[in-house]
Amino acid sequence: MEVEIAGILFLFVSFFGLLALGVPVVYGIGISTTCTLLLSVSGMPALTTVAQRMTTGIDSFSLLAIPFFVLAGELMKQGGIANRLINLAYALLGRLPGGMAFVNVLSAMMFGAVSGSAVAAASAIGGIMTDRMEDEGYPRAFSASVNITASTTGLLIPPSNVLIIYALASGGTASVASLFLAGYVPGFLVGFALILTAAFQVHRKKLPKGEKVGFAKTLTYLKESFFSLMLLVVVVGGIVAGIFTATEAAAIAVLYAGILAFIYKTVTVKDLPSIILNSGKTTALVMAVICTSMAMSWLFSFQSIPQFISSLLIDNLTNPIVIILIINLTLLIVGTFMDMSPAILIFTPIFLPVVTSLGMDPVHFGMVLVLNLCIGLCTPPVGTILFVGSGVAKVSVSSVIKPLIPFLVTMIVVLLLVTYIPQISLWLPGLFGM
Amino acid sequence: CTSRNEKVLFLAHNLPETHPVHKGIQFFQSELSKLSSGTLEVHIFPNSQLGSEREALELLQIGTIAITKVSSAVMANFSPEYKVLGVPYLFRDKQHFFDVLEGEVGQQMLDGSSDYLLRGLCFYDAGSRSFYTKKPVRVPADLEGLKIRVMNHQLSIDMVNNFGGSATPMASGELYTALQQGVVDGAENNAPTFVSSNQFEVCKYFTLDEHTSIPDVMVISTKFWDTLSDQEKKWVTQAAKASAQAQKKYWEESVTACMEILEENQVEVIRPDKTLFYEKSIPLIEEFAKDKDMKIIIDKIKSY
Amino acid sequence: MILLGKAYQTINRVLEKFMVIIFSLLIVDVLAQVFSRYLLSYSPSFTEEFARFSLIWLSLLGMAYLTGQREHLTMDYVYQKFSEQNKKKATIFIESIIILFATVVMLIGGGNLVYITLDLGQLSSALQIPLGYVYMVVPVSGLLIVFYSIHNISKVS
Ligand code: NA
Ligand code: NA
Repeated sequence: MEVEIAGILFLFVSFFGLLALGVPVVYGIGISTTCTLLLSVSGMPALTTVAQRMTTGIDSFSLLAIPFFVLAGELMKQGGIANRLINLAYALLGRLPGGMAFVNVLSAMMFGAVSGSAVAAASAIGGIMTDRMEDEGYPRAFSASVNITASTTGLLIPPSNVLIIYALASGGTASVASLFLAGYVPGFLVGFALILTAAFQVHRKKLPKGEKVGFAKTLTYLKESFFSLMLLVVVVGGIVAGIFTATEAAAIAVLYAGILAFIYKTVTVKDLPSIILNSGKTTALVMAVICTSMAMSWLFSFQSIPQFISSLLIDNLTNPIVIILIINLTLLIVGTFMDMSPAILIFTPIFLPVVTSLGMDPVHFGMVLVLNLCIGLCTPPVGTILFVGSGVAKVSVSSVIKPLIPFLVTMIVVLLLVTYIPQISLWLPGLFGM
Repeated sequence: CTSRNEKVLFLAHNLPETHPVHKGIQFFQSELSKLSSGTLEVHIFPNSQLGSEREALELLQIGTIAITKVSSAVMANFSPEYKVLGVPYLFRDKQHFFDVLEGEVGQQMLDGSSDYLLRGLCFYDAGSRSFYTKKPVRVPADLEGLKIRVMNHQLSIDMVNNFGGSATPMASGELYTALQQGVVDGAENNAPTFVSSNQFEVCKYFTLDEHTSIPDVMVISTKFWDTLSDQEKKWVTQAAKASAQAQKKYWEESVTACMEILEENQVEVIRPDKTLFYEKSIPLIEEFAKDKDMKIIIDKIKSY
Repeated sequence: MILLGKAYQTINRVLEKFMVIIFSLLIVDVLAQVFSRYLLSYSPSFTEEFARFSLIWLSLLGMAYLTGQREHLTMDYVYQKFSEQNKKKATIFIESIIILFATVVMLIGGGNLVYITLDLGQLSSALQIPLGYVYMVVPVSGLLIVFYSIHNISKVS
């Protein structure tokens, strides 16, 4: 036991020490893993093992979905799909009192849903929406906070890269297909709760309503965005109908988004290399962290750390509700200073055995984990979406914090619902027999 | 805590703890502890905790862990002689299978892989692989038009295509969903894997054509082996051989239990005329025997 | 110094081309796998393996490329509070740590991995290519990272 504690302590102290000094996450994970392994395995085998884990850890066909969905999202961003979705959302919700805030949530949800990327949603929708909302009298920081929180719903609504990463980290106990089906209800629930919160704020602050959009115009907007929204149907429908696997669906999404962008004439063949390179960079950003994280999670197994933490939690606490609450609190803290993919990769192998031994379904835990870390994406000091969202809205990060609070509280409430009502996550996959 | 005279052997494998081969490995663990009066202890990492079969073999070559258990099919990418064991209908029956593996040919394979830093300790029975499908397969012609998942390995692909099916290599992690959604129509494996993967929920026909009998093999890193004393080597070998004998019984028990589970779950077990399948694989066997080294081994096996 | 800058530009351009090519091949490969299964009802054995190996190359080369661009994820809230002078020192420290990792783990460890797998002749199961070629990307990427980190240090000092 002393050996494990010393190992865990050394690992985490060196890891967080390196990160605090500004060492990139990918190297922070790699170096602390190597040093910890060197404590128990001799030189050359230890170094070679880390090198091996860095490659074999990402040697998985399922992970291919990541570059593909990134590229599909990039094609949609460049392809001007964001504007079409905003128009549709405006036609549906714009004329309600405070409707622009609802338009913001709905657009971010739709774009996040089809692109699978919260960063893409925040940047593509946020920039346009803050300007339009300011014209109608909404404070920029308020618009930004709406956009920031709503952008994260795309990580729950399929397709979603982080769910693919979770499937990998779960060691295959949660399939991508069932996670994709499970994500709809929690994702829409968060979106709906955010709209309610916005309505409450708008009512208090007496914010204006937009113009009514005629039925004919609505129909035009619907037609314009129809094929963009169809991507969701093609991807998830294709998986459910057994035409392709979840991974292959990602390649189909690229083809679909590419054809759409060519038809809209917003992307030409000449643009392709730079779009592909951009997606390659985003892919590498995520995959590099996965490389070293997989070495770290191998080290966890090698030193039996998950078993150790699991026995620590289960031996000292008897109430499963409390154990799961503690796991949630830990993850909320982790999320404030850690990015999503490394957090999923590092904490899934530790917490999943604990919750499954309490009878929790791995798919259900995936929803809890991702929603929990979505909150972290919007909080300082490390909050990718917070930074991107404030950046495109051209407001300072600190000015967004106050208007952000009610929305974060809402997300925490939904998190508790999703945690303690498994049906929210498991009802839809159950309907399809998964 | 480890005492000064105690050596710990790290053993990694890819099977769940309920699997009959895991039970064989546990027998090895306790036998070795008994023989060595506790000076040689085995620490088992099941469930692919330390990586896939291929990755575990690499960790042996690197020298990070001491022992692993893999399928001979995977071993063949490291030590080519093991390829022979993937040939369809290589063995006449179970007795022939054990006679070969426990005889000169088997020992030669186990020792031969030492050239690749991997010393074979013993073979474990992994039964025979058969088809399980969503539509009944009674004769090879029934496989026509069916997409059958196979291991990503040329011999398996050619074999299924020769039978008339459409071989679809796919990672085992994606298989359950792929079967359920109809991306593939069936797969092939032994009964315990068919049951433990829960794929019997989706595939209601199990055709016992028993096309291949590919044993599992327990391997020790020569880097670790060389650090053992002669006495310790003897204990390890002895414990491994004893565990192989014990494992035969675990396997039979498991197969019986699995067949009962299949029956309870309304899976139709089909016992086809195996010669029909054998005839379809003759061209493949002849093609394989064109390699002179392989032919020598095949002839030796046939002569038993 | 000028030479270093020139080499930096050239290596960037080559690496960018390489990443675009690998990424494009990946898409073609997986689409071909789906279409050949449905239109020709034939599943080639190599598409899945090719895709997996390409992703490994894309990821590790991309890891090196991003090191050169200094675009990896960081949590720099302590770093941002440093004075200009201390930021320089911190950058040198960070890049040195990266050089150490790239040298010890990726060049030496990865080099040994390539040596072992090539020497012992392990073949991949579908393409039957030596696995050492796949692992080769670890030392290659390690070498690139060392170069990029030296370039990053030279820019602050
Ligand atoms: Na999505
Ligand atoms: Na955060």
